[in-house]
Amino acid sequence: MGSREQWSEMWTGLRLIISGIKRYPRMTFIAVMGAMTWMVVTIISPYLQKLVVDDAIEGNQPNLLVPLVLLVLLVGLMRASSIAWRRWNAFKLSYSFEVHLRGRIFSAIQRLGFDYHDHASAGELMARSSTDVTQVRLIFMMLPITVANLITMAMVGVMAFVLDPVLGMVAAITLPAMIVFAALYSRQAIGISFQVQQALAGMSRLTQEGISGIAVTKAFGREAREARKAQGVATDIFDKSMSLARFRSVYLPWLELLPTLTTLGALWLGGLRVASGEMTIGDLVAFTQYLVILYFPLRMTGWFFAELPRASAAAARIVQLLQTPPSVTSPDAPRPLRPGGGEIRFDGVSFAYNGADVLADLDLSIPAGSSVALFGATGCGKTTLAQLIPRFYDPQAGAISIDGTDVRDLHLTDLRREVAVAFEEPFLFSATIAENIGFGTPHAERSEIVAAARIADADEFIRKLPDGYDTVVGERGITLSGGQRQRVALARAIVGNPRILILDDATSAVDAITEAHIHAELVEMMRGRTTIVIAHRTSTLLLADRIILLEDGKVLAFGEHQELWDNVPRYRQLLAESSPAR
Amino acid sequence: MYSRYGSADPVPHRMNLLRRAAKSARYMALPALGAAIAAIVSSMSRVAGPLVIREGVDKGIVPQDTSVITNVALIFGGILVAQYVSTRITLYMVAWLGEKFMMDLRNQVYSHVLRMDMAFFGRTKTGVLVSRLTADIESLQVFATEGVISVVGSTLMVTGVSVALFVIDPFLAMIVMLLMPILVAISIHFGRRSGQAYRQVRSQVGRVLGALQENISGVREVQANAQEIRQEERFGAIDQTYYQKGMAAAKTVVRYFPQVDTLRVVGLVLVLFIGGNRVLDGEMSLGSMIAFLLYLNWFFEPIVQLANIYNLLQGALAALYKLYGLMDEEPAIQEAPETTPLAPEVEGEIRIDRLTFGYSPDEPIITDLDLSIPPGQRVAVVGATGSGKSTLVRLIARFYDPQTGGVSLDGVDLRKLSFADLRRAVALVPQEGFLFEDSLRFNLSFGRGEMSDEEVWEACRAMGIAEWVESLPEGLDTPMRERGNRLSSGERQLVALARALAVDPAIVILDEATSNLDPGTEGQIEDALESLLAGRTSIVVAHRLRTARRADRVLVMEGGRVVEDGTYDDLAGADGHFAELINTWESSEQRV
Repeated sequence: MGSREQWSEMWTGLRLIISGIKRYPRMTFIAVMGAMTWMVVTIISPYLQKLVVDDAIEGNQPNLLVPLVLLVLLVGLMRASSIAWRRWNAFKLSYSFEVHLRGRIFSAIQRLGFDYHDHASAGELMARSSTDVTQVRLIFMMLPITVANLITMAMVGVMAFVLDPVLGMVAAITLPAMIVFAALYSRQAIGISFQVQQALAGMSRLTQEGISGIAVTKAFGREAREARKAQGVATDIFDKSMSLARFRSVYLPWLELLPTLTTLGALWLGGLRVASGEMTIGDLVAFTQYLVILYFPLRMTGWFFAELPRASAAAARIVQLLQTPPSVTSPDAPRPLRPGGGEIRFDGVSFAYNGADVLADLDLSIPAGSSVALFGATGCGKTTLAQLIPRFYDPQAGAISIDGTDVRDLHLTDLRREVAVAFEEPFLFSATIAENIGFGTPHAERSEIVAAARIADADEFIRKLPDGYDTVVGERGITLSGGQRQRVALARAIVGNPRILILDDATSAVDAITEAHIHAELVEMMRGRTTIVIAHRTSTLLLADRIILLEDGKVLAFGEHQELWDNVPRYRQLLAESSPAR
Repeated sequence: MYSRYGSADPVPHRMNLLRRAAKSARYMALPALGAAIAAIVSSMSRVAGPLVIREGVDKGIVPQDTSVITNVALIFGGILVAQYVSTRITLYMVAWLGEKFMMDLRNQVYSHVLRMDMAFFGRTKTGVLVSRLTADIESLQVFATEGVISVVGSTLMVTGVSVALFVIDPFLAMIVMLLMPILVAISIHFGRRSGQAYRQVRSQVGRVLGALQENISGVREVQANAQEIRQEERFGAIDQTYYQKGMAAAKTVVRYFPQVDTLRVVGLVLVLFIGGNRVLDGEMSLGSMIAFLLYLNWFFEPIVQLANIYNLLQGALAALYKLYGLMDEEPAIQEAPETTPLAPEVEGEIRIDRLTFGYSPDEPIITDLDLSIPPGQRVAVVGATGSGKSTLVRLIARFYDPQTGGVSLDGVDLRKLSFADLRRAVALVPQEGFLFEDSLRFNLSFGRGEMSDEEVWEACRAMGIAEWVESLPEGLDTPMRERGNRLSSGERQLVALARALAVDPAIVILDEATSNLDPGTEGQIEDALESLLAGRTSIVVAHRLRTARRADRVLVMEGGRVVEDGTYDDLAGADGHFAELINTWESSEQRV
């Protein structure tokens, strides 16, 4: 990546961070003011201590001691309350921005179409909404204090010159050097920690895979070999961690030592100047106190500027995601879906995916209320054809209409409510079975859910679960078998009483006996409703009245089974190839 | 997979946990001693600083003796060198100790998990095990490196500074010490409160990430059902709770630091007022007072640090507790102390005697089953879902041990066989052809360990997949991606079959895939299966008619019992369960 691109990427990210400040101007202002107040009182304190030493003690004016000490107390209490003020607002600011940002990312992810998710990695998307957002939050949290830190350092520099110009010079040279050193250190350390993180991710991958494949490992008795693999990964983590430790052990003491060295220099030079009467002891005390005070702001500022490029890179990645336009959106002025029986028409539809033509100038008309099976060799485009109807993808050319309305003129919600899909590999949410079945139909009554489950032949096994329909499934609940999941998904598709039902080989993992049950029930369900069945196997063909034979992205034949069997050699050939009773 | 963010369990017997950890790290005692010495030197050199400054002020600056000032500066410089060297050694040594401890722990825990039985993997979620080996050990990492340094360093600093204060001025030291109990009390209170609060934040983060993960995995369902807005509202509510928990944790922090600061200013005022008066009265030197002021910061800082570490320590203990809990679980399937060897040539005779088994003992899946399979016989097991057929074959591979009765191989009870003999004799091909994320070669030779390319090709040829392998862009080096994504399910199955063939087992156990494969690979699998099963005892869980038809013998299972047993033709002719099953199969497969 060229440096120009790097800068523009960083700028994109910075703009997002700045937009956060603009979003919460009041909160930011209060937080910065809190930090400033904290800094001012922090700086006053050593000066007051100097007065105590110089005027009260050295100057032998005991009557000054009490008022000065009370002043120290007052300033100290102000400092304590401004700490609370500063921190509270920084937390509030950063948490608010984090939640706001993650909400936007979530919306973006939900709205990006199937084409995007086909290629996106879930891990990447997770990283956008977790680690990247956290990066931005941390830098955001540091923002008020960094503004205050920068102002403070300038002020302390001035104070140092006022106290003693010679020592001020010492500070003026060493302080910026420390920021640079701290920034360089943090940057390097971040780089090495990244390698450690990657090594740690290796452990996570290894474990995940090792446990997924445990049955195979056990079946062949290869436990020892798998354990050796782990040794390699653990050693890698150790090596990477130790190179980080080595780096830290060399440079970390310097971060502590540099300010102390400055103190030493100040004491030595200052001591000589006090001895020669050019400076008071109180000045020297105050001066060294300032150096101590500056220690943390210096490190923090160094850290901030080292972290900033990383945070802007994270922010830039977020911006990129937020700015990706969804390929399928509702029209600005959607038309309502006209009442009808679910007639579907494809007019000259062409669709290419990843540069490969899938459908080519396809015409097709599926009458309302009929049931058709899409059949053809692997890769003939049968799943794609079905997925164009609910606009999971949009074709490059041609149009698809339902009951005379182009699907692109409909609001996506209206369209997808009327076109229900049961996927071959359905996803169940961590929720109760009832909630999963009613996922697309939140207002469904329990009786409707049970009726749908009955049709999908799921009622019986659901009732046997520990809490029946209220059993939680998914990641946080019990795990259902592939066939059971498909049956729940089937119930989910039919519970909303859709005008069009698409079954994408929705019973492939169900055993033959159960499948026969489901088919018997489905025939009832399909009556009077347009149904498209995607058949990867022959038994599914039986569900439909008519069969669409696809080949090379075109309709090769459309008719009843017997018709096709008698007249289409390719149909006979395909059936013979997949016939179970060779 | 985010259960690692779940609420931490209570940690009983924390001393026991620490003692056990220390015991397991005993072999590192010598380096630990070295690290401790370096840490002491490092703390001492830091404490010495202000004492030297006191000398400089009292004997150099006040009497205006420039040679003393220069000498003191030189001594100070020497101390700084000692400080640098000792700090560097401490940092490195402690990191080494911690990292080594964790490396060993990773290896121990992972080997232990691999040794566990299949029942264990049935009841333990993958996510939990992954988080033990990653998040839990990593949470030790921060403690074992930075945490230990902080605890040791801070304790030494507080002790050193306290001693120094008493050396300089016992009276003023006594007064400052009065602040100590208050500081400790509010620090402990803070440690507990913020610990609780941040645990809640973490578990809420887990919920946020879980919800995200779920919506990314299920994004197609969300869109297909037009539920985007509702899902956003749900997620928004979860994230809002995170905000509240985060702010609740912030509150504990926001309360604590002003309290510490107030104490600090009280200490400062005490030193300035009482110390100032004592200097004025000539009871104390100015240098002593300045040293006192310098020490004051160091007196507060370590305790604040310890309060921050407290949470880290709690987290580390919770992780140790979980890890040791896992290590204490014994595998239910273990090799007998004294094994009976199998003959080099395994016959492959299986006998099952009055076997009863259930995944939980009070719910038997298989009841009182007797079965004898002569060498070389091909047996198909059929039955409805839940009839116990998969369980039966897993018992033969000794994935589980029965509650009563037993399985014997060539007359030897499985429990008396060595694992090596058992795995040599029995190969099980699970339903889903699981492949490891490694090369094709690795996967094919998995069962044998080391195999020459010649042998791998031979196995490929025997399975009739040599041509297919040659057609792959990288041949045997073709990487198999996660869950074998790059291959079709049929090709995955082929590799899984070849993997079993490579072991040349006497007995093959096969759980047939339920979903139909694409036309094309199906025939190839049939052929591969024939070559794998030929001349071996085989037990196949059949989901298809065709598989049952090719078997020498068909077992029909129902409710954990064999209800019919005979040849295909016998059973098909009889008016029983099998005949009914054939009807269903035929109606779904053949009517077309």
